[in-house]
Amino acid sequence: MCMRCGAMDRWMLFLALVLAAVAAVQGAGYLRLGTRSKWTLPLMIGSFIAQMFVLGARGDMRGACPLLDTGEILVFSAWALTIFYMGVGSMFRLSLLGVFTSPLVAFLLALALVPGLMDTEPVRATSVDPWREMHAALSVMAYGALGLAAVAGVMFIVLNRKLKDADTSTGLFKNLPPARELSGIVVRLLLIGYALLTGGLVCGVLMEGAMSAANHLIAALIIWAAYGILLLVDWRRGMPPGKLSLAALVLFVLSLLVFPMIS
Amino acid sequence: MELICLGLNHETAPVEVREHFAVPADKLGDRAKELLELSSVSEGVVLSTCNRMEIYVAAENRQAGEEVLRSYLATGRDVQEMKHLYAKTGDEVKRHLFRLVSGLDSMVLGETEIFGQVKQAYKQALESGATSGVLNRLFQKSFSVGKKIRTNTRIQVGTTSVGSAAVDLAEKIFGKLKGSHVMIIGAGEMSRQVAQSMMSRGASHLTVTNRSFERAQDLASELGGNAVPFDAWEESLVQADIIVSSTGASEPVLLAVHVEAVRRKRRYRPLFLIDIAMPRDIEKTVGDIEEAYLYDLDKLQKLANEARVSRAEQVRICEEMIDLEI
Repeated sequence: MCMRCGAMDRWMLFLALVLAAVAAVQGAGYLRLGTRSKWTLPLMIGSFIAQMFVLGARGDMRGACPLLDTGEILVFSAWALTIFYMGVGSMFRLSLLGVFTSPLVAFLLALALVPGLMDTEPVRATSVDPWREMHAALSVMAYGALGLAAVAGVMFIVLNRKLKDADTSTGLFKNLPPARELSGIVVRLLLIGYALLTGGLVCGVLMEGAMSAANHLIAALIIWAAYGILLLVDWRRGMPPGKLSLAALVLFVLSLLVFPMIS
Repeated sequence: MELICLGLNHETAPVEVREHFAVPADKLGDRAKELLELSSVSEGVVLSTCNRMEIYVAAENRQAGEEVLRSYLATGRDVQEMKHLYAKTGDEVKRHLFRLVSGLDSMVLGETEIFGQVKQAYKQALESGATSGVLNRLFQKSFSVGKKIRTNTRIQVGTTSVGSAAVDLAEKIFGKLKGSHVMIIGAGEMSRQVAQSMMSRGASHLTVTNRSFERAQDLASELGGNAVPFDAWEESLVQADIIVSSTGASEPVLLAVHVEAVRRKRRYRPLFLIDIAMPRDIEKTVGDIEEAYLYDLDKLQKLANEARVSRAEQVRICEEMIDLEI
């Protein structure tokens, strides 16, 4: 095992947390003044690089995909959330997404630092099951997309409230993207997340010892079915964007309950 | 050397007078050069836009310079027209020019076009050899003040009329208005203005309904839309994204049940309703429908007033910045 990596990954995790937290606080401060911070994206890129280092070091220690304890899953989720933010944010010119995403990323990274959640001396994998690795990687990527859908949903809910109350003089209102764009992004991210989640579930069923993780798989299936019903309803008959956004947020929070079931 | 500015603008002169003083855009340099032939005038810049015509000169003597400029401008114009001119001297000229390039003296407060127009006027004067040390310094300084004000204040942000507040809100709901369907209920002047603003920002479909179908047809043909009879407007609710209502009805025309009835057919798309009628045309409870955003005259007026207050504060900041630069 790489001993230096063992100490370094904690420091890099701390650095990733600090950068995301600074992005959150600084972005919110600028928003109150009615402007957008130019530093949100660079800070989040910095946090992303630090997260990559943590995952790289953990992978090196594990000799496998670093998704074998809760701490690693939390860091991987933060990484997936950040990569989707960087992709979606620049694709749809949603610079404000960073201000809403960074607190969630910081929260996930802070949780990962809680003693006991990340093995300080991870056991090196003796064998690698590609289905298990694919299941973990795809599921966490799905969480990134679904988490970002929840973040965009929160942005929509905030904007919707402000539009309803004619509260349009705040910096937050002025910087939020249009309501129709936001609800469109929620749907697209839900679709991407759902496709990844489906792939992750299929791999989960095919992995060795799938039956020993039956509770985890059942919970994941329920979450998968709930997202499926949400998308189906929206596709078949349409949904008020506010309800869709709220559903994206509630389902994401509920889906986090699957984490404690991972053995 | 004394600074003098003589001119007229949209506040001091009607368009008939302004057009009589207007100078073609490609002749600004030649006219500036002509000024040097006047006694006492050493440098000159001529500015002419659709809203103003102004002459800036550096003269050896303030009084003589102003008199010679007035008689220069009086050639071919009557005494009544000359009464619309204003004159500024010394630091007043600096303050006026700095306010001008910052958009504080414009018809649309904070507009940016004037900056380029002043720059163009100065460039032509410079190229024709009509400027030297005094006006070069003045105009260069004005450009740096203009840039500083636009960078450090929010003078150009915000809307100050009910119509523009409605259009800005529509863009906050729909993003680009391209492809949006606007429906007008009641072909009054105010709804015409709002609809026209929506169409100019990209809305591509327009439906007009009015108790007098003929009037609906007139407005529809003027704005490039379709007219529907007043007893059939409810069918158009399915397509509409933005509804502007301003009938003279004494009871609400558009009720919550009308919107509820088409929600599913609309697939719960956002619906922006602008009620500019007095008494109101749209039932208040329409605003409780989740995807409906209802703004009446009071709400829109409140937004426009907030913007005006914000602008007034920005103007105060700009004036303070200009004071420091003089």
